[in-house]
Amino acid sequence: MRNLSAILALALVAVAGVATAGVASPARDAVLAAFAAAAKQADPAFTGFSAERGHAFWTAAHTGGKPDTPSCTSCHTPDPTAEGQTRAGKQIAPMAVSRTPDRFTDAAKVEKWFGRNCSTVLGRDCTPVEKGDVITYLAGK
Amino acid sequence: MHATSEIKGAPRLVWVWDLPTRLFHWLLVGAVLVALVTELIAPASWLNWHVAAGYTIAALLLFRLVWALFGSEYSRVASFFYRPRQVIDYLRQLLELRPPHYIGHNPAGAAMIFALFAVLTLLVATGFIVQGGQEKQGAFAGLAGFALGNNVRGIHNFLAYLLMAMIAAHIAGVVADGRLHKSSLVRAMITGWKRVPAPLPLRAPRPPQIQAAVLALAALFALSVGALMLLSRMPPLGVPAMTPDQVWAKECGACHYAFHPSLLPRASWAALMADLSDHFGEDASLPPAAAAEVAAFLQTYAAEDWDTKAANLLSNVSPTDPLRITAAPFWVRRHRRLDPAIFAASPVKAKSNCIACHRDADSGRFEPQAIDLPTFAAAGVSP
Repeated sequence: MRNLSAILALALVAVAGVATAGVASPARDAVLAAFAAAAKQADPAFTGFSAERGHAFWTAAHTGGKPDTPSCTSCHTPDPTAEGQTRAGKQIAPMAVSRTPDRFTDAAKVEKWFGRNCSTVLGRDCTPVEKGDVITYLAGK
Repeated sequence: MHATSEIKGAPRLVWVWDLPTRLFHWLLVGAVLVALVTELIAPASWLNWHVAAGYTIAALLLFRLVWALFGSEYSRVASFFYRPRQVIDYLRQLLELRPPHYIGHNPAGAAMIFALFAVLTLLVATGFIVQGGQEKQGAFAGLAGFALGNNVRGIHNFLAYLLMAMIAAHIAGVVADGRLHKSSLVRAMITGWKRVPAPLPLRAPRPPQIQAAVLALAALFALSVGALMLLSRMPPLGVPAMTPDQVWAKECGACHYAFHPSLLPRASWAALMADLSDHFGEDASLPPAAAAEVAAFLQTYAAEDWDTKAANLLSNVSPTDPLRITAAPFWVRRHRRLDPAIFAASPVKAKSNCIACHRDADSGRFEPQAIDLPTFAAAGVSP
């Protein structure tokens, strides 16, 4: 019985851990690893992604893009756990991985949306570091 | 007929209007009021009430037709069938403020009844065609094209205004009769008893033939309902069966609700799909294969292939902004009275978010009944 209780307790802790973090995903790790490799290739001094830099990028007012959408928060709102809304009125599921667990697990989808939104918000492609930072920030939210 | 210009002796009460005729009259008043109010005042989303009033009027007219043959004396058409000469004479005497007495309908009233019957019949018929042609709803959706419905709508509206003028004349006649004869036709139509001068000759009133009336009415109703049901089974005219393309639904539906292909003509869709990198100020680039599939789908089901209201009215695009549905002259005209705050507020946010108010926008139907303005904005906004 004591063994069973211990296993149950461990299982509960494990479930609780996954539920609160909600981040562990081999697919997302692979997406991040690809960006890390690209970042390393562009800059050998690259040491890793930073949620802090990702947060700053997320909330920053950028220039060079369309005037209506200077920031990620223009559509996604400053709170990544909240629902966003496109300029055309469509709801956007929260970007925070804790709220939308399958975020950043599909490499093609990640590329499509960074491609479109960086063009709209910054008027250029985002760098692998910027993408990796933002994903790291949102994966921890 | 039972007319006299001389009023002598004490007036007496005569049983004139039987219960079915009185019920018919007041139900018709109610149905016509509902039909007028739902079209002139109520929001467009109340269309079902307008249609229900139309069906009620149609049923009442059928009843009155039967009751004109089998009802009691003064409900029968034979008792108020006057020659035009008699109507003119009566109107002349009315103008001289000495109209003769009649127990049942006087010649002017009888003429009004025939006119009302004709106008109401035409209103019901044109209503069916407008509903079928414009909205692709109801029994005539399979027969009436949009252009026909749109043209007949003008006739329907004209008839409605004509009806209002006739109702005014009818009420004026009732008021005039009340003044000149010191009697109340309204009370007679409520109680069935009419106050008439004593010497007015009375015919032996014929009783109603209830059995014949019920049989005739049942036969007419069965025929009408059967015909309407058969017609309703016809597929709506100019509404092709469309299998939604999965890529269209997913990719277009990612940023906005997926606009129905029938909302723009081919040329607009082609130009729009040719430059997704600047899609109304957004980069909406798609992989070439996906873009090609969506473009082909939009070309296959563009506005030219539909006879719906939206396809007909929106395919006349803005000459200066031909890709923008919300710039089409019809769109601008139809939404001009809406408070701009409706579009700016959070559940809507953009004019292009049709589905925020038109609950059936994704089907391209845009039925009036499916309009649901956000509650914060509903007050003070006319449809």
